[in-house]
Amino acid sequence: MTDAAMGNVAVLLSIGRHPVSGRSRRAATDAQALEMALALRPRRLTAIHAGPAADAEALRAYLGMGLERLTLLVLPEGADPVEALITHLRHLAPSLVLTGRQAEDGESSGMLPYLIARGLDAAIVPDVVRIGPADTPDATYGKADLVQALPRGQRRALTVTGRLIATVHPSAPPARASAFGPARRGVIEPVAAQAAADLFLSDCEHRPWRPKPKLMRVKRGGSALDRLKAATESKSGKGQLLINPTAEAGALAIYDNLVEQGILP
Amino acid sequence: MTSPQIRHRVDPRAERAARTILTGQRPRLLRQPVATATVNERRRDPRAIRDAALVQRQPRPRYDWARDAASAGTTAAVGVAVANAPVIPLQVIAEPAYLVLAMLDRPGGEVSEHDRQVIAAARLLADAGGGAVVTVATGSGEALAEAGSDRHVALPDGWADDYVPERRAAAAAALMASLSPRHILFPDSPDGGDLARRVAAAAGERLFAGVQSLGPDRATRQSAGGSLETGHRPTRLMTVAADAFAPLDGVRHEARPLDLATPVVAGEEVLPRLGCARRLAVDPDALSLSETDFILSAGNGVTDWQSFAELGEALGATRAGSRVVCDAGHLPRERQVGASGTVVSARCYLAFGIAGAPQHLQGITGVKHVIAINTDLHAEMIKRADLSIVADAQEIMPALIRLIRERRHD
Ligand SMILES: Cc1cc2nc3c(=O)[nH]c(=O)nc-3n(C[C@H](O)[C@H](O)[C@H](O)COP(=O)(O)OP(=O)(O)OC[C@H]3O[C@@H](n4cnc5c(N)ncnc54)[C@H](O)[C@@H]3O)c2cc1C
Ligand SMILES: Nc1ncnc2c1ncn2[C@@H]1O[C@H](COP(=O)(O)O)[C@@H](O)[C@H]1O
Repeated sequence: MTDAAMGNVAVLLSIGRHPVSGRSRRAATDAQALEMALALRPRRLTAIHAGPAADAEALRAYLGMGLERLTLLVLPEGADPVEALITHLRHLAPSLVLTGRQAEDGESSGMLPYLIARGLDAAIVPDVVRIGPADTPDATYGKADLVQALPRGQRRALTVTGRLIATVHPSAPPARASAFGPARRGVIEPVAAQAAADLFLSDCEHRPWRPKPKLMRVKRGGSALDRLKAATESKSGKGQLLINPTAEAGALAIYDNLVEQGILP
Repeated sequence: MTSPQIRHRVDPRAERAARTILTGQRPRLLRQPVATATVNERRRDPRAIRDAALVQRQPRPRYDWARDAASAGTTAAVGVAVANAPVIPLQVIAEPAYLVLAMLDRPGGEVSEHDRQVIAAARLLADAGGGAVVTVATGSGEALAEAGSDRHVALPDGWADDYVPERRAAAAAALMASLSPRHILFPDSPDGGDLARRVAAAAGERLFAGVQSLGPDRATRQSAGGSLETGHRPTRLMTVAADAFAPLDGVRHEARPLDLATPVVAGEEVLPRLGCARRLAVDPDALSLSETDFILSAGNGVTDWQSFAELGEALGATRAGSRVVCDAGHLPRERQVGASGTVVSARCYLAFGIAGAPQHLQGITGVKHVIAINTDLHAEMIKRADLSIVADAQEIMPALIRLIRERRHD
């Protein structure tokens, strides 16, 4: 199933951070992006990380997933990786770039895929869970069928023309485990790259996050009695009550109610 | 004799002053005391004060001691007659110093809780310097007046149903160019966050994503996977995290349509690269209980499990049950709703033969609409439900299956 449309795939991998211990690891959705790329079995698969050379060891967890080599664009500490990645990707000209949803370290704003899409003049689709070449007859020139995850477990299918950047949703197929042997044997290829310092980020102040108290829905206005009622009474439906209807009448009442709520067509 | 001046009814000096007539050559005194002079101003009349402070007599007396005495007499009379409906004053910002745009999701045409929170955040920025909040969404702005919108820009109605992120982004960029707002806020939801990032990438501006707190000169967000708090001056483009700001209530703004020089159907010329968007049918039983929108739930009152399964299929609902049902092995453990199971937030919960134990009701506090079928009129579940039917579950279930199949065929 190696297809022309999916022949050249790039995956952008960032370094993750364990939420409790703070140790560096493979980032969860980036690993899922790599899993998706490996499952596509493209003719050419390039995995890229941009960052300081000192971080290279943390990238071995990705190599342990069965990747032979990984490109490391060497940047100074605190540099913006976007320009370096765009330059490198222009050179590679992949038809599909897979990325995670949001980085687990650094700014983690989820902007990077969008900036890359802008730089490569490509379409961007967020929250992808499945990807494949379009099954239309004119699939010779880059058309892809995607499935996108929506809130509440819903799914949406899409067709995309041309070059595509896709970010991967956490409910995509889980990433395979990383094996130690391949992780040791894999090759990390450093490539020198140019990057400017990220001025905005150094302009921000950082401090440890302290959890905030949960926002309560306090109702203002009205009399004291109303506010007390709103705060203490649980919502009890002051709804309809049917006592001993026939089975048909009861079923009809439920059906009409469901239609009214927009649950049934 | 602690305070004689309060206990005395008459103030002889004031009385004398009131009777004095200064018109002639020398002061003269009137024989009759003047009516007003008999009342000592310093004397409290507790009954009169109490009457003046009374704003409502039914269902029980309510007093407002902070009111000024001048207006008291009139409103007190009204307050007794009318159950005082507070009139929220309309706030008009005629000449805004600057604009703050709130780009709302409005999923399915209704103003979501998150949309209201975004407007509340926009108000924080606008009220700091006499700015106005401009909401941008599909549909009309009337529903947004109470949420705090001063002006409204309506997007084409069709966009509510279609997936058109590229068009929305182009429209937002066009508005950004024509109105030059000081800030643009988006909800940090899947759709709103996507739109915000598209706009930020196109404008080449920095997006401050997932704002958790906001003031006129400082915004903060979570970064580094939630371990750091990053603070900065509010940037032009920001997304607002869910449940970080309380939606406004008790306010009324204009939400009047904003007259634009050019209509906002920019983006027609954008050649969409994303197409053929359509919703896929998902197997309801494959969804986790916390995700699904419609739950069919069984309790100890259900014995006909065949019908229950068929009904779930006919309705397209996710099946679930009370603890008793899961303990008995009729449903797997992860399908248990309640305190020791899953807390659900479905839109609709259809409960057959569930008594409504506190541990079960805890699991459905977030449910909007509950329908209960139970043989016991006094079951807690019947009290909680929006539609309650006192009947045998084993009779209702097959009848409902038949009804659905009938309606589907014609
Ligand atoms: C620590 C703890 C944690 C718990 N956690 C949970 C939890 O997470 N979730 C949970 O559900 N429970 C939980 N429970 C159990 C809970 O207290 C109740 O025992 C349980 O919810 C009762 O389930 P039920 O309503 O299905 O059964 P019952 O209490 O037996 O009620 C059955 C109902 O069905 C009605 N009925 C009978 N026959 C029919 C018929 N033919 N047609 C229609 N209606 C009929 C009856 O009138 C009755 O109201 C917990 C208990 C404890 C102690
Ligand atoms: N330095 C980097 N090198 C390679 N890919 C990155 C880098 N930073 C971020 N990414 C990718 O971009 C996604 C979103 O990152 P961010 O915009 O930083 O939240 C991540 O999940 C990664 O896939």
